Amino acid sequence: MGKPIFELVDELPTNNITIMTLRALDFVVPGEWNNTVGFVNTIREVTGEEDEDTIQAIGDRAIWLYNDKSQGYQRAMWLYQTVDNADTALGAAAIANKVGEKIPLLGFLNRITPNPQKAQSIDLCLKLVVEIVAFCQINGIPGDSIGDFVGSLAEEYSGDSLMRMAALICIDGLIPLGPDFILKVHNTIGNLSAGDLENNSTFSSISSFIPGGSPGGQLEFIGNAFDGVQDWMGNFVSDRGLSPGAIFQHLQGFVEFSDDKLDFVAGFLDMTTNYYEHTGTQTIARKLIERAVGEI
Amino acid sequence: MNLRNTVGKLSAALLLATWLFLTSCASEPPSRFEQAQQQSTQKGASAVVKESEQGSEFNKFFPGDSGDYKVVFTQEKKGFAQAKLKQNGKEVALMSISDVLNNPQAKDKFQQSTEKIGGYPAVPSTSKGTAVLAGGFQVKILSQDPSFTESDRKTWLAKFNLNGIAGLK
Repeated sequence: MGKPIFELVDELPTNNITIMTLRALDFVVPGEWNNTVGFVNTIREVTGEEDEDTIQAIGDRAIWLYNDKSQGYQRAMWLYQTVDNADTALGAAAIANKVGEKIPLLGFLNRITPNPQKAQSIDLCLKLVVEIVAFCQINGIPGDSIGDFVGSLAEEYSGDSLMRMAALICIDGLIPLGPDFILKVHNTIGNLSAGDLENNSTFSSISSFIPGGSPGGQLEFIGNAFDGVQDWMGNFVSDRGLSPGAIFQHLQGFVEFSDDKLDFVAGFLDMTTNYYEHTGTQTIARKLIERAVGEI
Repeated sequence: MNLRNTVGKLSAALLLATWLFLTSCASEPPSRFEQAQQQSTQKGASAVVKESEQGSEFNKFFPGDSGDYKVVFTQEKKGFAQAKLKQNGKEVALMSISDVLNNPQAKDKFQQSTEKIGGYPAVPSTSKGTAVLAGGFQVKILSQDPSFTESDRKTWLAKFNLNGIAGLK
């Protein structure tokens, strides 16, 4: 059993590299994400409630729902936590070394290894699959329903969920793989073998929750998941005129790097941020509270 | 020997006192949610009883889209279903049906009801919500935007198929 949900939400940070990165991406989904932290704060924001007894009742019910494993919220939390592999020591060092206004990337080059295209494509797809499985767990939809998920992306995704998807496209797509990341990922996954997947450590940790039965079936599910979402991603990029250049420019608000070191920016963010876990915790808390307020 | 014993006892007592002092300073006051956390993690505790109705049974009793308004289903769990009400794409309310078997004290507030919607007792519930008790099920609407008033909540509660909900068991 992990930490209580109220502790997880109370302990969400208000200032680290994850937060700076997500704030820099505000231009992609303006005003959608405000980094609400604290369990009681979240209850207030979601329900508009000020009465302390009512807040207590909503919080208590949300905790009961979270702790009932059959309800799927804990599994979703575990997936969000597990798919992110931030090196918190490096993140803390980067902040500590902050000279003047910005974090100088130069000081970290020897500790950053850029992800090759194959590993990066798997990373992006596994994060996407985690989103689908967590979405189904949280909302009570059968675990392999890519269609329901894609419908919801357009209809329902907002706030912390939409910011997570925006960050996925920017930080795990456009920056490491370039403007044609959708095509690159599609081709890479198409040429992948079940063995490639089994050698991936993130896949190994979460594979028991990926639909498909065997590594071969799971590879097919991953491919179908990406194919199901690629039109939405493509429209998301073109509707907003997103490009790696525009994202680099916004990131330069807090991290300092030169044009010949762009390859290292993706690696740096990969190692120092845990945006899936951070916004995933916020999404789960919100969903629990929305349900709790309906049930009390 | 005696002196050594006394010194030993004294220093042990002093150590204990220091330790108690330090640990009492270090530990934070318990959270207001600690009790719920402990009760809900005891063996056999569950938030949802197996007798409760499947959430998928509820969906057909929600109001449909109407004019600028669109009903978007979100959560569908055992004993619970929820939809967002959107007006021109903007979320204005959360609507839900829940089986009160999972949280029986939810029924208590309806004893104070002085109003009916569709023949079922209705009450204000939380500061931005209105609830109706249809048989063993609570139907609730919570405003998510100031433009969606109490009167809007009552109007939309009346659009649920409350008789259908009450007839579920």
